[in-house]
Order: sequence, then C-alpha cells, then structure tokens
Amino acid sequence: MQDRDRKGIVFNVQRFSVHDGDGIRTVVFLKGCPLRCRWCSNPESQQFRPERAFNPNRCLGASVCGRCVEACATGGLTLTEDGLIRYDRAKCTDCGGCVRRCPTGAQSYYGEERSVADIMKRVEEDDVFYTRSGGGLTISGGEPLAQPDFTLALLREARKARLHTTIESCGQYPTEVLDQACRLLSSLIFDVKSLDPARHREYTGHGNEQILKNLNHVLAHFPDLPVLVRTPVIPGFNDSEEEIMGIRRMLPDRPTVRYEVLTYHRLGMPKYGYIGRPWLMGEVTADEPFMKRLRDRLAAFTR
Amino acid sequence: MLDMGCCCCTPQEQWIEDAAKGKPSPFRAEQPRVIDMLESFDCTPPVIDVERARYFTESMRETEGQHLTLRWAKALMNVAQKMPVYIEDTQLIVGRLGRDNCRYGILYPELDGDFYKSVLDDFATRENPPIRVMDEDIDVIVNEIGAYWNGKTYHHELFKRMPERCKRMAYGDKEGLQPRYVVAESSSLRSSLQWVLDFDKVLKLGFKGVKENARRRLEALDQKDPYNIVNRIPFLEAVMLTCDAVVVWARRHAELAREKAAVEKDPARRQELLEIAERCEWVPENPARTFHEAVQAHWFAQAFSRLEQRTGCIISNGRMDQQLISYYRKDMESGVLTEKKALEILGCMWCQMAQFIELPLSPGVMDTQAGFAHWEAVTIGGQTPDGQDATNELTYLLLRSKREFPTHYPDLAVRVHTRSPKRYLWDIAETIKQGQGYPKLVNDEELIPRMLAKGAPVSEVYDYVVSGCNETRLINRESYMSPGTQVNLCAALELTLRNGRLKKFGDGVFTFESGDPCSFKTWEEFWDAYVAQQNNLITTAFVLQDTIHHTRAKYFASPLASGLHNLCVESCVDLNSDQAPEGALDLAFFDAIGFGTLVDSLSVIKKLVFEEGSLTMQELLEALDCDFEGKEALQAMLQRAPRFGNGDDYADNLYKQVEKSALDFTAHYAKNYGVQPIEIRTTSVTANVPHGKFVSAMPNGRKAWTPLSDGSSPSHGSDMSGPTAVLLSQYKSTNWNAPNRACRLLNMKIAPKTVEGDEGTQKLVDLFRSFIDLRVWHLQINVINRETMIAAQKDPHKYRNLVVRIAGYSAYFVDLNTDLQNDLIDRTEQQSV
Repeated sequence: MQDRDRKGIVFNVQRFSVHDGDGIRTVVFLKGCPLRCRWCSNPESQQFRPERAFNPNRCLGASVCGRCVEACATGGLTLTEDGLIRYDRAKCTDCGGCVRRCPTGAQSYYGEERSVADIMKRVEEDDVFYTRSGGGLTISGGEPLAQPDFTLALLREARKARLHTTIESCGQYPTEVLDQACRLLSSLIFDVKSLDPARHREYTGHGNEQILKNLNHVLAHFPDLPVLVRTPVIPGFNDSEEEIMGIRRMLPDRPTVRYEVLTYHRLGMPKYGYIGRPWLMGEVTADEPFMKRLRDRLAAFTR
Repeated sequence: MLDMGCCCCTPQEQWIEDAAKGKPSPFRAEQPRVIDMLESFDCTPPVIDVERARYFTESMRETEGQHLTLRWAKALMNVAQKMPVYIEDTQLIVGRLGRDNCRYGILYPELDGDFYKSVLDDFATRENPPIRVMDEDIDVIVNEIGAYWNGKTYHHELFKRMPERCKRMAYGDKEGLQPRYVVAESSSLRSSLQWVLDFDKVLKLGFKGVKENARRRLEALDQKDPYNIVNRIPFLEAVMLTCDAVVVWARRHAELAREKAAVEKDPARRQELLEIAERCEWVPENPARTFHEAVQAHWFAQAFSRLEQRTGCIISNGRMDQQLISYYRKDMESGVLTEKKALEILGCMWCQMAQFIELPLSPGVMDTQAGFAHWEAVTIGGQTPDGQDATNELTYLLLRSKREFPTHYPDLAVRVHTRSPKRYLWDIAETIKQGQGYPKLVNDEELIPRMLAKGAPVSEVYDYVVSGCNETRLINRESYMSPGTQVNLCAALELTLRNGRLKKFGDGVFTFESGDPCSFKTWEEFWDAYVAQQNNLITTAFVLQDTIHHTRAKYFASPLASGLHNLCVESCVDLNSDQAPEGALDLAFFDAIGFGTLVDSLSVIKKLVFEEGSLTMQELLEALDCDFEGKEALQAMLQRAPRFGNGDDYADNLYKQVEKSALDFTAHYAKNYGVQPIEIRTTSVTANVPHGKFVSAMPNGRKAWTPLSDGSSPSHGSDMSGPTAVLLSQYKSTNWNAPNRACRLLNMKIAPKTVEGDEGTQKLVDLFRSFIDLRVWHLQINVINRETMIAAQKDPHKYRNLVVRIAGYSAYFVDLNTDLQNDLIDRTEQQSV
C-alpha cells in the first residue's frame, strides 16, 4: 500500500497549536493509547476505535429537536420525563443513525478513519506559517506510535513535503517502532511520568520499564535528535520535588535534551461525561506556588 | 498533552483590577502630568461648545454669493480671531477648540444645522451616551445658528437632490433623518472623508512658507484671464488668508500664555507658560526648530483642520516617526530632550486629541460610530520613499507611548513589510498584548502594488499614509472627495429570498421581483437572481455617490487642506471640488457590508439546498420567516455547511465569487462614472450593527435584526479553525487579478493565554510574518478575555477604562451601546488550548 493511502483513526486536527513543539504547528490527534493515566485530559483518545459521545451541553432537547431519539431503533436513546435525552451505552449498537441526524454535534463520534493524503492536505495548508515560525506537524494522541503503520507513513509523507515533524509520545511500545520513527523526526516530545514502577503501574496501568528503556534507546542512538522530556505534575502522584528532580537527574546534560514540567489541569473532565466514563481525579487542583518553586529549581539545576 | 491554565490577565486587565483596589496608575511615577490630566477628564460626559459654529455662521452670513473657498477662509479667520482660547493648568501643548477641563465637541451647522432643533428636542430622552448642553447655549444653537442654516445646509440640499430610488433605500422618513441601511451614505455625517494633511509642509515650511507658495502661484497667473479672476485667484487668496488665520489663532495662545505667566505664582509653571508663549510666537508660522515646537505645530494644524471641516476625527496624524525624527535626533544630541520628556510632550498631544469628541448629533452617526470613536491614525514604520526600511528610534518611542498611556487616542497604525525588523514586530506584539487592541497592522506588500495598479506614481507609493480606519492616502496625489456609500449585501440576499421584498418593510415589492426562489431548479438560477439584486443595490449606491459628489462641491470648501496639497495649489482647485485637480488620483469606492454573513448563507443554500438536498428551499424560507422560533434544530443544522474563515475552499471561493461579481460590475460602469476604478472595500467600522437591524433572519442561522459580520471578518462564531485559517481564508478569497479591490478589514480576537510570555510574543511575531507573506491588507488583534467583557457589561464603572478593539478603531467598552457590546463578546475567541 502506498503511504498516502494508508488510513488511521484520527480524532482531531488542530491548527495554530502553540504549545506542542517549535513554532506554529498543526497537531494531528490519533486515537488509541496503551496507557490509562487517571488524569488524562484526552480520555476520548484512549480507545482505538471511534467512540460514541453524547454532549448534553450541545443538545437542544426534545422540545425543539429529539431527532436522535426518532432515529434510534435499539432504545439506546430515550426521553426522560423532563424532556431531556438519555443515552444508554449498553443498548447502543453503534449504528450511527443518531449522529447523522443530530444538528448540533451533541451526538457524535470521537475519531474517524482518515487517509494520510487527507491529513497531509490539511497539514500543508499552514505551510506559510510553519516556514516563518519554524513550526510544522506534531502527531499526538492517544499514542501516535500505537498506530505505527499510519504514523510512520504520515511522517514519511511529511518529510517528503519538507515539514518539520514531531510526535508527542508516552513511550509505551516496542523499541523498534520508536527507532524507525526517530529516523523520520525533527524532534521528539517524550513523557516520563514517574521513576517508580509500582506507582506508575497503579496510576497508568503500565509499569515504566519499557518507557525508560525506550527513552534510553533514543538518548543513546539518536544523540542529535532534539528531545523534550515532559512530566505532567499530578497531585497525589508525582508532585514531590524529589520525584521530579530524580527524573531531571536521570537525563543527560546536552543541548539537544530539554526537560519541562506541565501543570495539572482539569479541562478534560467534561469529556469523561460525554463518553460515559467516571472522572477519578476528584476536586484536586494544581498547587501553583509549588509549580513555581519546582520550575525555579529546575532552572537552577546543576549536578 | 497540552500545557495550559485558565487564569491569565492582560496588563490592561491587571491595571483595572488594581485601580479598583485603589492602586495608583503604574505610569504615574513616570508621567504624572499626563496621567493626572487624563484622569481629570476620562469618561466624563462631553459638552457641546458652540463658539466655532457661532463665529463661522456670523461670517458666512455676511459673505453670501462670494467664491466658496474664500468664504470658508473668511469664516475661519473670524473664528480664529474671536473664538475663546484656553490654556489648561498643566498642559504643554496648546490649542483647544472648546472649553477647558472637559471632553467637548463642536458644531458644524453648514452640514446639519437644519435639524438641530429636532435633535435637541430628542436629546433629553437619550440615554447613551450622555452629552451635556449648557442651557444658555440651547438658545444660541437653535435661534442664532440653526435659524440661519435652515434650508441652507448640505444635508438639506443632498436630500432634496437625492433621486427617489436612493431615498427609499437610504432613508425612512421625509426629512432624511432616519437612515435605512439598505444602501447607506455617510456624507451627511461628516463633511470630509478621511484625510491626512501634509504635515511635513507645516513643520518644514511653516504656514509662512505655505502662504508664500500660494502667493508665487498667484503671481504666476494671468491676472487678466476671467477664469482666473472668478476661480483661481479667489482660491489662492483663500489659502493665503487661511494661513494667516492659523497664525492669528496660535499667536492668541502666546498672548494668553504671557498673561497667565504674569500672574502665575509657581515659578516652574511660569517658566513653562513663557516657553509656551515663545513656541506659539514661532510656530506654526515658521519652520519648527525643536521637537517640542514640531509637535506643537503639528497639533495646531490638526486642530485647525477640525475647525475647517467636520472630519469625523479622521484627519490622521501622518507618519509621525518620519516627520519628527530629525527634530528628535537633533534635540537628543544637544541634550535638550530626553526620552521621558519626549513621551510627556506626545502624551500632552494625545490628551488634546482625547478631549475632542465627535458629537453624535444625528441619528445615523449614533448608530455607526458609537463610543466617541476617533480615527486620527498615527502611522509608523513601513518604508522610506525610496523603499528602505523606515523604522527609527521614534518608531519605538511611539509604540512605547502607546503601551504606557492608557488612552485610546490616537489610533496607532503600523506599516509592515517583508524587511520589517524583528525588534519592530516584537514591540508591536508586546503592544498588542497590553490588551488595548493597538496597534493595527497594515501591509505594504499588498498596499503598494495595489496603488501602483490604480495608477499611482512609483515615486510616491512607498510614502503612503494610513488614513482613517484602514484606508490609506498618497497625500499629494489623491483627491479626497470621492464619496462613500455602503451596500448591505445581506439585504440583497433577503431581497432574493423574498422575491424583491424586505421583511422590515412589509409585503410590498421593495426592489423588483427576481423570481420565486422555490421555483429555482439550480444553484446557478439562484445565483443569477442574487447577483441581479446585489447589482441593483450597487447601481443605487453609484447614483447616490454621484449626487453626493456634486452636492458636496457646492457646499463645502477646505482652504487649509487644499493649501497643503501640491496638486490643489497647482491647479487652484479646492479638494471638495467635483473637478479633481490635474494629475490627481481620484478613487471612488463603496463599502460592502456583511460579507461573512452573506457568504455563509450562500454556502447553506448552495450546499444544503441545491447540492445535498438535505433541506428544501421551502423549509428554509419558513424557518427564516419565523426567525427560527421552534426551529432551533434546523437552525443548528445550517452550521454544517462550510463557513468562511476556516480556510475551506468551498466557502472561500464563494466569497471570491461574490467579490468578483461586484468588481466586474463596477469596473464596467466606472468608465461612465468618469473616475478611476471604483473600489470595493469592506471597512464596515461598526456599520454592521445598524445594517443588521434592517435584515431579517439569514440562512447561516443568524437571527433577525442582529449584527451582520464586520469588515471581511468571518461571521460571528464561525471561525472555528484558529487564526491561521482566518488569514488563509482572506488570501484564498481574494481576486488577486482585479485592479479595483481595496481595503479589507480583519478583526481577530486572541485570548491572553495563547500569547503568554516571550514564547507567546514570538508566536505573534511569526503570525505577523505570515500575514505579510499572505498580503492580507489589514489585521487587528484584540487580546482580551471574554469574561472581562461580560464583567464590564455588568459593572461599567469598574471597567470604565477598558479599551477594546471594534472594527478599525478603539473605544471605551462602557461607552458602547449594548448591541455593540454583545457584538464584541460574541466574536469567536481564538483560544488555543
């Protein structure tokens, strides 16, 4: 199969992204991730297949619409007594009839099959902005390398178009896949969440052994590839100076390797509701003064 | 994973919070004089000052029958001699046109004096914005001033001459007071269009030199030629008399300053007053010698031009960084000037500007230009006349002045081009990030080739000046009196959908029947009907323009502005004449209002009705007729059609197609009209709001009577793909091969979080570079929180200093009427999260 015809499950293509690598970028979000981080701000990215979502905030209600209920043959969508729409995931057969009838996008799918050619057409439109800003394509997710064939094909096409390429990766996959990707990347953004394998397993569903192995592989075999290692600082999980400084100490001091901490936020919370999943993080919020101290300490870091 | 947070204030938001807590302005320590002055009048209700109108009328009463420009000059001399002069307690730049220690506005009865009585009667009932009239002045306005002008004003004559087809589209009453925004005209709101005086002449020659030029021209004329005797000689005499009038007015300030100095107890202020006297004795008569003199002369000329005409406050400041740099450098070298002092002098001038208010006395002005708008743009940066980068120390100082003085005057326009230095773009980005909506970017890479295509000489194009909102001028080449009209594109669509009717005006045929839309079998049939309705409105606009053009020539004159214009002096022709001076570039134009709303609506019809068939024309018409009441599901579904502003070819091509149809139509008829290309612009300013009040529901889901989209910006909330897509849509929808396209006004809102820190500034700079590459005419970015605007609506007092960007100019948010506030809040926030 030609690279351009290869298909993947994509749930968003976001232009003018300014926090995902150098310059002005377009971020392609892929479905599917091996990890199940409790704090994940893109819960809709975790499953590999397109996923039904119901966003009641967008719903007009049965009084003026109710088209989805009419379209539903399985009883997955019903009316409550006060005229609201109820979605019963268990009865849904994923026929998609309601999504096609919904005028507002309240009934929707996260994710659809897109070809590399289709994605590239969209990505290349902003070339005039990449050229000036040093930006380009960022593949994110989900975990881009969890759809290795698609991601590698997209990266090859992007290289042909002379675009700057980056992936945002969680690191959980066979080393061989990463090795191939690194040959096509202009830079890599790689998450390290914790150095403690047990806690890592508890909060993400996987230990960190493979992740750290992969990171070390990149650092050893691609010394010229700019790597940004990032840690989301999650209250109750890894929010201690020792933990963060430990990750920092593990990284080599070389100009191509940078380290950054990300502040925890809850903006992904509503999406859990849309896809019928519980939010596990409760009311906890980021400790801003702590984050400031942490960033100051990292900025002053010496061995 | 994306790094983001929610809470982020612009510096402007922080100042407001601080001020509410009683913290002093952060700039007071640095510039106490200017900040104190500003706070003394800020947000106070403006007062009507009658003196200009009184002495202007007094003279005009005595000169009836004489050459119009000469009458004007005599009237200006009468005003200059008799109008009270003021020097405020701490001011360093003098020259007020009305009473001191307040915001004020003056009257132009030659324009609209015949309806003062009805306006004043209506005045007491008006809530917003409040304007004060002194009781003793009401009698003067109505009986002394208004009585003379009754039946003699431009407005009266224009309305009388206006052909019926124009009247019914432009006005809804018998007096021509209630505008109908189907085809609108703005000429009865202001006597001149936006313009820029040749300030270089004022600074380098002084009015003595300008007068001398006129005298030389006069001496070269054949004094026996009857044509000269009737036309040219009185014109030049008028120019000379006006030069004297400016000097007389300036010298009266010198006298007052000396009188005040004699009784001043504070030695420091006494010294300042004596220096003011010395300056006013020297400039603007003679060439300026210092930076301070140059700024004083600049202001005198600009202020006096407001006595000459109702400019709509759009006599722009010109390229101030270029005009003043030689004085600045000389004074800095000799040590008589510091950066701080220069900022203070400029701040004093901004305060003078800020206190002069354009009075919204007629109903039309109220609607289109709310918020006491000013457009006296300061142009900086760009290229030198020989095409080198023009940025200099003053460019940066003017940007700093904008960042540090919380006034929205003057409007700052930055010319940018491919060789604009990074430091310049960086400072622009930092200034925009203050959250005041300044400055606006104007793109040399689009402007210069455009002007060349329209016939401008290459020797002058690099020196163009931003004038008014996002228009530009070649100040010694263009003649400014090409009239401006506005065409409501969405009304044209409604006329198509209702077979020649507008819901606003009932069941009668308003234009002509272009066919029952339900009978159209193809998109092409629908399109042809739309174009017929659109072109009918454009034709009406041209007829209206023609009337304006010839009426204006008989009712207005401008000896000051004409005397500073090379071609006017050479040809001895007033700028207001309907005969353009020889060699002039005269570009007529009209503004197309509601482009984004129209294009999205056409997209719905083309895609959903004719291509997909997911909606019938009948269903659509029914939904429009009931304003989507009970049909919210259908209304929401309409959003599925491609929309302009997302870099989507389908919608962008529709824009291009609409623009092309209008461009072709006007190009065809421009020849007969006797001017060079008739330009099509999309500078709505805030006219999209009143125009919206005449258009019922639109197929893009817009509710009846709500604002249309502004300028060439995407319609409200439809630009979902971020700023890069918005810019690309501008590029892709442009008819690059059409000579007569002109300004496009593009507004964009960005949340502070998106451009936070140095990294965010860099992204803005990158965005500017691509904006330049894409040759988009104009860009304004408002960095502001939506929450801030909602809070300001609820608590106007607390947010009284909130400056926001509205289509081409800034105004205080709380000065705006509720419609405009909502309009601003509804614009899509480009939050990148």
